[in-house]
Amino acid sequence: MALHSAMKGKLISVIGDEDTCVGFLLGGVGEINKNRHPNFLVVDKGTPVSEIEECFKRFMKRDDIDIILINQNIAELIRHVIDGHTSPIPAVLEIPSKDHPYDASKDSILRRAKGMFNPDEMM
Amino acid sequence: MTDIDQICSVLDRLTLDALTLMEEQIQIKLNIENAMCGGETHLAKSRYILGQNSVSSLQLPTENSPEFDAMTTVHLEESDEFFGEKSRELEVSKKEDQIDPVRWFGYLVPQDLYHAQSMFKQALQWIIRGANVQTNLIQTCNKIQQLKELKKEVLASN
Repeated sequence: MALHSAMKGKLISVIGDEDTCVGFLLGGVGEINKNRHPNFLVVDKGTPVSEIEECFKRFMKRDDIDIILINQNIAELIRHVIDGHTSPIPAVLEIPSKDHPYDASKDSILRRAKGMFNPDEMM
Repeated sequence: MTDIDQICSVLDRLTLDALTLMEEQIQIKLNIENAMCGGETHLAKSRYILGQNSVSSLQLPTENSPEFDAMTTVHLEESDEFFGEKSRELEVSKKEDQIDPVRWFGYLVPQDLYHAQSMFKQALQWIIRGANVQTNLIQTCNKIQQLKELKKEVLASN
């Protein structure tokens, strides 16, 4: 129990539009660590895809991050990187945003799970 | 009961589990969407009261801000000691030197900003449940994959 309370919890990081980041940071997930690295990225129309990809890969490498939240429309831009991530930690959760409702057919994990139920695969 | 029958019956059970988890995951994502929509509406109301740029990414901390710790973190709890399964739990801790993120937007903020905060906290609870379901789903799919390969091997040897 003492060990549990002494252990620092893992972080939830956010890659999303302004409202998503402002909202979840209001919820208390934001952090600036000793190396001045934030655990969030606000994506707007001018953010290059390379920057999103780089940030996502940086979050994947950090061992203090347990969950990466990413807006589904932003996840679409770096789908090849997200599809390549198969390990359960950190968990990459695709979340809806204000302008883009959730579409289960685009979700990487659900697509992978659905692929297991192909008639050819069932044999 | 032969080996192949046993494998098939476990595969049936795992397939049913996977379908249930997929349905649960979609439902959780819809709940996250509802909570986020509510939060965003309250953010918009706060923006209407305080001004367009008063509730925006401009108020969020940057790389030049002093370091601070997250108030909401995730703890991994061992839910099944025998199988070593772990589940996530949300932990909210507030130290004395930490300030409420609402203060980034001013000291006299509208009540809507507090409502938005509580809606996003609710969304975080759903997110933790979603992350647990997603981990279970990945593990179930991996087990199905392994069993399918075993089934092929058994069928080939017969």
